[in-house]
Amino acid sequence: MKSPRQSIGRAARLAHLGAGIAGSYLAYQLQRPFLDESQNAERRRALGRKNARQIREDLQVMRGPIMKLGQAMSMQTHIFDADVVEELAGLQMQAPPMHPSLMRAQFKGALGKFPEEVFRAFEPEPFAAASLGQVHWAVTKRGEEVAVKIQYPAIREAIETDFKMLRAAGFAARLTGHLQESVVAEVERGILEETDYLKEARNLEFFGERLAPLDYLSVPKVYRELSCEQVLTMSRVRGLRMQEFLKTNPSQESRDRLGVGLTRLFFFQLFRVGALHADPHPGNFLLNPDGRIGLVDFGCVKYLKPEVVRCYAQFWSREWAHDTALYAEIIRVIFGANVPTDAPRVRRCMNEIRRFYDEFHPLGNTSVALELADPKFMDGLNQLAKTLLKNKFLSPDFVFLSRAESGMCNLLHALKARVPTTQIAREWMPPV
Amino acid sequence: MSILIFMKPSDEKKKSKARPAGKRDRNKERTKEKILAAALELFRENGLTGTTTKQISEKAGIAEGTLFNYFKTKEDLALFFFQKETNDLVQWYGREAQLQRAPLPEKLFAIIHRQLEYISPYEDFIGEVFFRSLQPQSKLSPLSLESQELRLKYLRFVREVLAEAEEKEEIPLVGDLGAYAVGLFYIGIVTHWLHDPSRGKQKTLALLDRSLKLATRVLKKGGWDW
Repeated sequence: MKSPRQSIGRAARLAHLGAGIAGSYLAYQLQRPFLDESQNAERRRALGRKNARQIREDLQVMRGPIMKLGQAMSMQTHIFDADVVEELAGLQMQAPPMHPSLMRAQFKGALGKFPEEVFRAFEPEPFAAASLGQVHWAVTKRGEEVAVKIQYPAIREAIETDFKMLRAAGFAARLTGHLQESVVAEVERGILEETDYLKEARNLEFFGERLAPLDYLSVPKVYRELSCEQVLTMSRVRGLRMQEFLKTNPSQESRDRLGVGLTRLFFFQLFRVGALHADPHPGNFLLNPDGRIGLVDFGCVKYLKPEVVRCYAQFWSREWAHDTALYAEIIRVIFGANVPTDAPRVRRCMNEIRRFYDEFHPLGNTSVALELADPKFMDGLNQLAKTLLKNKFLSPDFVFLSRAESGMCNLLHALKARVPTTQIAREWMPPV
Repeated sequence: MSILIFMKPSDEKKKSKARPAGKRDRNKERTKEKILAAALELFRENGLTGTTTKQISEKAGIAEGTLFNYFKTKEDLALFFFQKETNDLVQWYGREAQLQRAPLPEKLFAIIHRQLEYISPYEDFIGEVFFRSLQPQSKLSPLSLESQELRLKYLRFVREVLAEAEEKEEIPLVGDLGAYAVGLFYIGIVTHWLHDPSRGKQKTLALLDRSLKLATRVLKKGGWDW
């Protein structure tokens, strides 16, 4: 049974959220061309901060979908500045928890027994909030340490209702001013997939097997008998989240090794696995000083079509700059037949992308390690993202690919790692 | 001032202090439980209406006449079920030391969830009872004379839980009305629960959690003005 009260409450919150942003951030976006440059950055930051905090507060009350949409936007669209993204990134770890009684009730509803009946030990306080639930430490009857992810009840139904309302209100379009319906649909599909933990279990098993050649990488093992759509029990993976890891003042050697590992991970997934861990939030990478990396949260995974992977390699090669046929082929794969290959806005975007790749993957001497601490990488990435958005250079197939790629750039930059990115990219790159 | 708290229960406290339950009382209680167990099993198969007193007495292994000594009607049996449910609830809460320290929304969540867990094996039976209790002449009606004692017992229990929260200033004084409101809320939740097709009744859990938090927040902010 639908609860109309719940829907009304959500609608009211949505309206509030929409109004809040439209009242300042978007209004500001509109008048931005008329502000002078020095004032611009200052003012944008102030407005961004204030809005981000409001967004975060609203999203926390909402839980679930809107919060994920906020994160997705912050990750994918770069409509927010770096400090706002940081503010939004806090969301994943700060969702309001289920109290122990609700957590037990939900666990029982999902698996038919209370946690204390199936585990030797179970920590009633969560150690982390996932966006759709929360994660508890536990010890199995056989004595293995596990992480148990428990979903907030009826989240899927809530998400479906929210997206219905987002569409009805034209909210997403209003909020971003850039996103196309096909992209929103792709985000919705991704978010809904995240509500089925068995899907995540299959992803974990798939990636666990396929990523095995990367011996520095660990992926949690699934405990099928203790998992279902709303509960996921996984082996515990060691490591620190980025912020905690950086606080330990790691050596440059550690940073470099981890940087190389993360870069290899991206290209191995792309060219050897054909699927991507597409939630590059820093909290999902568990880092160890010896270079071992734990990769967690496989709720959001993108299985790539072979032509998309090939297209990326063609793209990366930059040979299309002098090869008209190759250029046309790339545009066809990205946009289908709808966009004329000679559209000037498309050419503008392609050139912008090439400029970024020339920095991030220089084609010359390939063994040179790049200093990823250099702010020019992040500036380049932000600049690129803005250009692409302004020119509506967005394609559903590439949303998650670019999300994973920019996530990797963010991680390498935060690590201040030195990485020979070109060399690593070429290791598994198929011939164009 | 709380009428609910002043009205001490007529049964358990007086009785248990005056004299311990005799062997006869214990036997009587045991027979009643045996009948109830038999009846619940039949209700689960055939529903409340579809079960005859003859079937119940046969299943319980007693004479039909004896059955009437204990329960005049099937509705009396249902009332006994809810008495047991309420007793179980009060005793369980008394044992849950950790829960007694939890914030009010969690306490009420746990209490109502405990009630739902208790009735969940008998969903169809509960559905029928709910339907019947809407008829004013039914003994199961919350307004009937027969259900008063049970009702008061439940309300008194809830009143005490709310009083704990009042003392800790989690909520302003809500008085007896607060307990009545929780009682009505519970009926609403059971109705939702009966209609909830989601796995593990998740939608009811979410509704329960959110509405309790909302109610507590509203009470905290606006308070309550006599």
